[in-house]
Amino acid sequence: MKGLSEISPPPWLWSFLAAIIVLLLTFLVSGVGGSQTVTLAFTIAPYLVLVGLGQMLVMSAGPGNIDVSVAKVFSLGGLLSIAIGEMTGSWVLGIAGAMLAGLALSAISVVAILYVRIPPIVATLATSLITSAISLTLAKGFQGSADPAVKSFLNWAPFGVPAFAVLVVIFTVFVSWLLKRTVWGVQTLAFGQARRAAEYAGISAPRTLTVVYLTSGVLAALAGALRAAFSAPNVELGNDYLLDSIAVVVIGGTLISGGRAVPWGVWGGALFFILLDGLLNLIGWSYAGQSMLKGLLVLAVLFLAGGSPILRRRGARSPASWISRAMRFRAQERPSAQTSRHRRRAP
Amino acid sequence: MNATSPALTMGGLPKGSARRILPGLLTLLAMMLILIVCGTIQPRIWSQGGMTLIMSPIVALAIATMAQMVLMSIGDIDLSIGFFVGMVTTIVATFMRETPLMGVLALAACVLAYAMIGALVQLREVPSLIATLGASFIWLGVGLFILPVPGGLAPDWLFQYAMWRPPFSIPVPIVTMVFATAITWLFMQRTRLGARFRSLGSNPTALARTGASLLLTRMLAYATTGFLGVLAGVTLTAEIGGGDVNAVPGYTLTTIAAVILGGGMFTGGRSVAWGALFGAVTLGLMTVLLTLLNLSSNLQPAVQGSIVIAVLAGRLVVERLTR
Repeated sequence: MKGLSEISPPPWLWSFLAAIIVLLLTFLVSGVGGSQTVTLAFTIAPYLVLVGLGQMLVMSAGPGNIDVSVAKVFSLGGLLSIAIGEMTGSWVLGIAGAMLAGLALSAISVVAILYVRIPPIVATLATSLITSAISLTLAKGFQGSADPAVKSFLNWAPFGVPAFAVLVVIFTVFVSWLLKRTVWGVQTLAFGQARRAAEYAGISAPRTLTVVYLTSGVLAALAGALRAAFSAPNVELGNDYLLDSIAVVVIGGTLISGGRAVPWGVWGGALFFILLDGLLNLIGWSYAGQSMLKGLLVLAVLFLAGGSPILRRRGARSPASWISRAMRFRAQERPSAQTSRHRRRAP
Repeated sequence: MNATSPALTMGGLPKGSARRILPGLLTLLAMMLILIVCGTIQPRIWSQGGMTLIMSPIVALAIATMAQMVLMSIGDIDLSIGFFVGMVTTIVATFMRETPLMGVLALAACVLAYAMIGALVQLREVPSLIATLGASFIWLGVGLFILPVPGGLAPDWLFQYAMWRPPFSIPVPIVTMVFATAITWLFMQRTRLGARFRSLGSNPTALARTGASLLLTRMLAYATTGFLGVLAGVTLTAEIGGGDVNAVPGYTLTTIAAVILGGGMFTGGRSVAWGALFGAVTLGLMTVLLTLLNLSSNLQPAVQGSIVIAVLAGRLVVERLTR
């Protein structure tokens, strides 16, 4: 068993492989201008990575956990940080205010999920609706621009390496370390793999869920605040980030059924998506073509990587694996598996 | 009473039925409340014209909710319905008008594409959430390809249907909604295939043991969703008069909320056509209520979100009482 897991490639490999293929194609098409493409990709990718890391943590906390409010929280973070920054004259307060708003809004989701027992997708949807109402009210007659210091930092790329990207890489290392080496990380992943077993082992469900959803909200708001400083605040700034964040997390190898988080995969997925957009722009594809290709690629990745091996090996109880088990039952009755299921059903 | 007959609730209903029906009833109550408030502020909505006016934007949402309900009954979620309905409007507003045969073929291809996604979900064990997410990019791309900017014109027969005034001063939108819901309800509750869909959601092992093909069942469920999505797109084209792929991206999440309000579950196995209709109308009437209350339309999403939380909190209380 050990040998088998050593042979299997790391889950983030595929997303990076895809990104590298797109990068090589970009070099082929553009020739010399390719290095600029890379710099540009690393300038834009960190925002998606920040949102993606939050989404990844939420998804890792078990089946059904998803944060669909990231897009609206992202937009609000952008508007709020600039508004507060203008009012107080301090960009630090602006970004802090945005993060605080992200925290407060995801707290609504947490309360709805834990105490009203609303399924996460609907709870975060409700939060998303409330957030978008705040953004729309705030954006009425909104004027303001980001602090030049923040803006120049986000554009600062010594030797073609964007400084902001380096910061986000360091943050990714930190998240990776948290998940692998701390009690909190291991508990969160254990909770995602088998909620009931984790609860019997003394892991608190409210605490785990609270932390992941709050983190996702704060990261989305922070990414929005920085993105708004990079370009301009806008109610629709975050709209693309909902589908993209979910897609890059899954392309990166994080299991949607929970229990396996792959922080580096988020980078791979984000670079893949952004380089792909760049390449298609370069060869003159319209937005329609880009979108179609993106969709086909997501489906192709699913087709190739579907039925993730960890799911089968450990027999995680996701609906999909249930069905595959059902199909196998049909082919041949397996007494051992059956008795274990009966035992599980017994009171 | 509960002590003497634990299987019966206060209403005398079996526990399972109560669990299935009560959420829908609660949502119906919320819907009635909103209608009454609207009617008090502006009595003219009770006329045929007034009802048609406030209900016609909701028809497409109600049918799209039926589509989502079918998929949720097998335990899957469709994150692409918003862009799918938008894409259908672009097809209807262009091909259907100029070359009806091409239009029908294109719409049939859409249904087939849905069945293919179902096959992907079943064969490769991928989560429906992500598969439909990928599909939504494709719908958006195809829609933009057909109509890069909103435009086109709905076929004349659609306009004629929208202008039709049925007898007994029944508003057209209500006829359409009730008809679509009744068909969906009959299909899900009274046909063998509907029963198979529900059992695919609640107990796929049992379904496999009966000798049914899980692959075929899932593909048919997705095709049904695609078919209902096409219907929603056609009615939306009649409503907006043209095609726009970006017309209703919000449907994706609103339909999920509507099904949940109607008593549906994410785990599948439950089909709640009428409840889903009430959920869709409740969420759709928000716009009307806010306009009548003279509140900024910016607040509409917040009120929608709060209603969802409030109704679900109410359901929690009701479920505690019926336990």
